[in-house]
Amino acid sequence: MGKKLIQLKGITKIYDDEAVVDNIDLYINENEFITLLGPSGCGKTTTLRMIGGFEKPDKGEIILNDVVVNDLPPYERPINTVFQRYALFPHLNVFDNIAFGLRNAKAPKEEINARVEAALKLVSLPNFASRKVALLSGGQQQRVAIARAIVNRPKILLLDEPLAALDLKLRQNMQYELKEMQRKLGITFIYVTHDQEEALTMSDTIVVMNKGKIQQIGTPTGIYNEPKNRFVANFIGESNIMEGKYIKPNWVQFMGTEFECIDTHFSAGEAVDVVIRPEDFDIILATEAKLSGVVSSSVFKGVHFELCVMIQGKEFVVHTYENRPVGSEIGLKVDPYEIHLMKVENGEH
Amino acid sequence: MNIKKLGRLVWPYLIWLFVLVLIPLLMMLVLSFFETRGLNFDNAVFTMNHWFQDLRDPSVLKALENSFTFAGTTVIIVFLIGYPMAYILAHSSFANKMIILMLTIIPMWSNSLLRNNALRNLLSDASLVNDLLSRIGLSFIWNVKGTETGIIVALVLTYLPFMILPIYTVLEKMDKNLIEASMDLGASPVRTFFKVTFPLSIKGVVTGVIMVFLPSFSGFAVPYILGDGKFVLVGTIIEKSYNYNINFVSTLSILLVVVIFFMIFFVSKVDKEGESFL
Repeated sequence: MGKKLIQLKGITKIYDDEAVVDNIDLYINENEFITLLGPSGCGKTTTLRMIGGFEKPDKGEIILNDVVVNDLPPYERPINTVFQRYALFPHLNVFDNIAFGLRNAKAPKEEINARVEAALKLVSLPNFASRKVALLSGGQQQRVAIARAIVNRPKILLLDEPLAALDLKLRQNMQYELKEMQRKLGITFIYVTHDQEEALTMSDTIVVMNKGKIQQIGTPTGIYNEPKNRFVANFIGESNIMEGKYIKPNWVQFMGTEFECIDTHFSAGEAVDVVIRPEDFDIILATEAKLSGVVSSSVFKGVHFELCVMIQGKEFVVHTYENRPVGSEIGLKVDPYEIHLMKVENGEH
Repeated sequence: MNIKKLGRLVWPYLIWLFVLVLIPLLMMLVLSFFETRGLNFDNAVFTMNHWFQDLRDPSVLKALENSFTFAGTTVIIVFLIGYPMAYILAHSSFANKMIILMLTIIPMWSNSLLRNNALRNLLSDASLVNDLLSRIGLSFIWNVKGTETGIIVALVLTYLPFMILPIYTVLEKMDKNLIEASMDLGASPVRTFFKVTFPLSIKGVVTGVIMVFLPSFSGFAVPYILGDGKFVLVGTIIEKSYNYNINFVSTLSILLVVVIFFMIFFVSKVDKEGESFL
C-alpha cells in the first residue's frame, strides 16, 4: 500500500438534529480499493458525498494530500464519481458524455479523442461513441458512467452503489471487471454498497458502518473471520451467535459446556459473545458430541444444504455437503480456531 | 399515444375537432379565395386578390410588421424575466415555491379586459402611481399610455406566466444528479448551467416562446386598450374589417394559422429530438 491519500478526522454530519455521520476517523491509502459497507441509512453515502464535495461536514476535517479540503467545491477536487443512477447527460451522446470532463479541463482535441477512445475500449464499448445514451442498456450505461469518470484520471474514484440496478449475472461480471480496472489504473476506489458479498469480493479494505459510526475496519478475511461485534457478525455472512463466559485463556463456556478456543485476551469470568459460522461445524454422532440436537429443517442451496438444528431450544444454522433428514438427531463438533469470541458491548445481551 | 388504443373515448373529441376546428378552417380557406357578401355565396366571384393585393396593402404590411415587433420584443423580455424566475422557483424550498407560483398564476384568473383597463389607468399621467409620486415630492411622471412601451408592459405582464410555467416544469423535473455529475466532472456552476441545465430546459423554453409569441402576435385587446387604438396590428385589422370584408379577414386568419402551424412544426422538431433522450 502506498501513502495516506485522504484522511477523515472526526467527520460529523447532522441532519435534523440527528448525526447521520458521527465522528468518523478514517484514512485511505493510495491505490487502495476501500468499501464502505452498511445497511441503508448507516451514513455511508453521506460520507462518500462529503469526500466528493457535495456535502460539507458539520465537524471535522477532510484532508487530501495533506491539505484540508472541507471548503473545496466538487469541481476543484481531483475526484470523480460514478453515480448510483449513472446520471449520464441525456442531451449528449456517449462520446460527448465521456469527453465532458476533459473539455472542462480544456484538453486539446486530439487528446480528447484518444483518451475517450481508450476509455471506451477499457469498458469494452468500442464503436459506441456516437450512440445516444438513452438507447443503451443498464449495463452499457453503467460502463459509460465508469468511462466518463476514469477518463479524467482522477486520484480517487467514488462509486455509489454502482451495480445496484444491474441483474445478478451482470453484477458479478462487473465486480470482477471493476477490480481489474482498479488494479490496472492504479486509482484509489472508494466504493459504497450494502451488499456484503460485493464488498468481500472486491475490496482491499472494508469499513463496516452502522448508525453513522464505524463498526470495524479490516481486510475482507479479517472482518469475516473476526467480527468485532454482534452487528458486524450478523451483517457479514451468516452467524450463530451465543452468549458465553470466558473462563481462562483458551477456554470458554457456552451452551452449558466448556470449549477449547484460541482467544487469550479476555479476563477470567468476562461475559463474551461467541460466533460460529455455519460452515465451520462438523457433523458427528450425537453420542460423541458436546452439542447435539434435532434437525428441524433442511434446504438445498445449490452447493450445500442449510440445516436448522435445535439445540437446547436455540436454533443453529449449519452448512453441510451431506444432507441429514429432518427429525434426525445429530452432533456438532467445532474446532477451537473456529470459535470466535467478541467483547460484549453496552446495551446488548 | 395510439388513437386506436383509445377506442371510442376519442370519438367525442374527434367530432368536436371536426365541427368546430376543421370545418371553420376550411370555410375560411375557401372564403379567402372569393368575393362574397358575408357567408352568402350567391354571386360569389373567385379571386386571388386577397392573397396577392390586399395583403400587400401598406397598412396591412405595417400591421404585420407591428405585430412581429411587439410579439418579438415581448418574447425576449418575457424570456429574460421568466427564465430566471422559473430557475429560482425550481431551486427554492418548497413552501416558498407554491406561494410564488400562485402569485404568477392568480392574475390569469381575472378578466383580461378588466386587468388591462386597470393597467391602462395605472400607466396614464393622471394615475394613482403618478399622483402618489408627485405628492411625496417626486415630479417624475411616467406616462406610457398609448405608447409602444405601454403595450409591451401589458403584453409582458399578461404572458409572463406562459413562459414561467413550462420552463419551471422542465427544470423541476430535471434530475438534480445531472448537476452534481457536471460539477463532479470539473464544470463550475456557470459552466454547468450553460452545458447542462440550459440545454436540458430548451423544451420548456421553446414551448414558452410559442405560447407567448402566438397570442401577442395575433391578439388585439391588449394593444387596443393600452395603445389607445393608435397602433395597427393584425389583430386590430381583423377586428375592424370583420363586419364588411369577411373574405380578407379570412385571408389574414389563414395567414396566422400558417404562422402558428410553422411554429408548432418547429416545436415538434425540437420535441422529437427531446423525446428520444428524455
